[in-house]
Amino acid sequence: MSILQYDFMVRALLGAVFTGLAAPAVGTYLVQRRLALMGDGIGHIAVTGVALGLLTGASPTITAVAVAVAGAVLLEVIREKGRTSGDVALALLFYGGIAGGVLITGLAGQGALTLNSYLFGSITTISSGDVWATVGLAVVVIVLAVGLSPQLFAVAQDHEFAKVAGLNVRFYNLLVSVMAAVTVTVAMRTVGLLLVSALMVVPVATSQQLTRGFRTTLLLSMVLGTVASLGGVTISAYLPVAPGATIVLLALAGFLAAWPVGMLMRRRVRLSAPFSPSDLHRDHTVAREDHEHEHGDDCGHPAVQHGDHVDYVHDGHRHVPHGSHYDEH
Amino acid sequence: MSEPGSIIEIRDGAVSLGGRPVLRGIDLVIGPGEVVVVLGANGSGKSTLVRTMMGLVPARRGEVTLFGEPVSRFRDWKRVGFVPQRTSAAGGLPASVWEIVASGRLSRRSPLRPMRTPDRAAIGTAIEAVGLADKAKHGVSTLSDGQQQRVLIARALAGEPDLFVLDEPTAGVDLQSQQAFADAVGLLARRGATIVLVAHELGPMAELIGRTVVMRDGRVAYDGTPVATAHEVEHHHGHHHRDLNKHGSDYLPTVSAPIGGPANPERRS
Repeated sequence: MSILQYDFMVRALLGAVFTGLAAPAVGTYLVQRRLALMGDGIGHIAVTGVALGLLTGASPTITAVAVAVAGAVLLEVIREKGRTSGDVALALLFYGGIAGGVLITGLAGQGALTLNSYLFGSITTISSGDVWATVGLAVVVIVLAVGLSPQLFAVAQDHEFAKVAGLNVRFYNLLVSVMAAVTVTVAMRTVGLLLVSALMVVPVATSQQLTRGFRTTLLLSMVLGTVASLGGVTISAYLPVAPGATIVLLALAGFLAAWPVGMLMRRRVRLSAPFSPSDLHRDHTVAREDHEHEHGDDCGHPAVQHGDHVDYVHDGHRHVPHGSHYDEH
Repeated sequence: MSEPGSIIEIRDGAVSLGGRPVLRGIDLVIGPGEVVVVLGANGSGKSTLVRTMMGLVPARRGEVTLFGEPVSRFRDWKRVGFVPQRTSAAGGLPASVWEIVASGRLSRRSPLRPMRTPDRAAIGTAIEAVGLADKAKHGVSTLSDGQQQRVLIARALAGEPDLFVLDEPTAGVDLQSQQAFADAVGLLARRGATIVLVAHELGPMAELIGRTVVMRDGRVAYDGTPVATAHEVEHHHGHHHRDLNKHGSDYLPTVSAPIGGPANPERRS
């Protein structure tokens, strides 16, 4: 008893693995540039591309890639030229894309049902040609996203520094946009255009809870994306649920599980972060007279470096031993 | 034509940002091994001056050269280390100290090639030079402001530059970090690097400075032997620009609305 004996399941799982790897890899750079919703914008634009394919009889995947890349480049140009209206420009393309798609689909004599398989994915109906296209494009995206990660990281982190380091900032920004557009259309058949952005962003948000370096964030988010998309497809093989939605809900469940852990980790780091030594010479304030507790290495209160000594964090106060009493710092 | 051997040269430079003139009539030649500090009030154009030197802001007129080459055509960026002005080294995602400092090495690496031993050595040395060796694997967002600023300085150091340009590296930085920073700059200066530094106050760096440029209202108001503060220049050179004394160090140009009447009521006799 194995789902692998069905060809369409093998194709679906292959598609799921590669989308699961590629989407968070690109999504990492979008999140780092605080453009988490860009994938969503491109997804909306791609609807018009799909509709154009339906109208002209060309492959909807190819027209979707073309229109999505054009839209992503346009978004990047608008973002670079006019910083203030960036999110408005995004909104305009969002709605223009989806309205255009619905209109053109109607002209092509197709109903909303045809569009549905692109909007919400239909991973089990992927043809073998589609699978190889998905795998090929995803491999290119993964190789670029991981191989160029030092450059892409530097550009997204601090574009002025990157420019003075001799990197072609505009080229790398455009590259991320084009990779995002390709990923959106690749993932269109797996999770669907409306949910693809979730697979780009949610695994990154999850992995960010647990990591403190960029590279580990990138790699962990790719692992999480793969687990979610494989899990989603497998579950939908046994239960009457839509694979795309299951994938996204699994990814979200991962975030919900990681979030409290991240909260705890950040709280511990914050508690032990040193206080700035710049206010060392403040007034001398004695702690409450009935302070009977004796602070020490194992007293249970976090000991935090403060300039040349250690403060004990005690009920929101910072206590320092001073002769027979404690000072407030 | 640029002067032979100059590191940075601006001839008759003027810069506008969004149509508003910010720098005017800038003539500045910085030679090899000089340690220059740029002082001035907020809005005097000192930050724009160094950003123009780095080619981040285009000059509206005049000529800007780096190592004798027009900055727009300059390609040898591994010779330049830049510390931009900013409040935080943290971005939208976690990044470790080591990773941020490693991006300072990109001017010497080709894309898609693995990092070599000299790269790793330079990154380690740079992190040590700013006294953060024990925090190399920590996330930057967990560091104090002063430590984050030191990370950005280490990033510029990692490229082993001949020219080091820093935009307000010590603003809001604690004394310990200022000292660590002054040590790193001193080390570079002794190696013969050229250093251009924008600052509000010099602190422990004062003894390293060989030349001071004071910016006022988009022009070079003073260029010569070191002075401690922009304020000092105002007093020594009061005859040049009396209005500066009247307005104090935070000089703001008085601008009046076209129909709102004159901004300066004294003129209404």
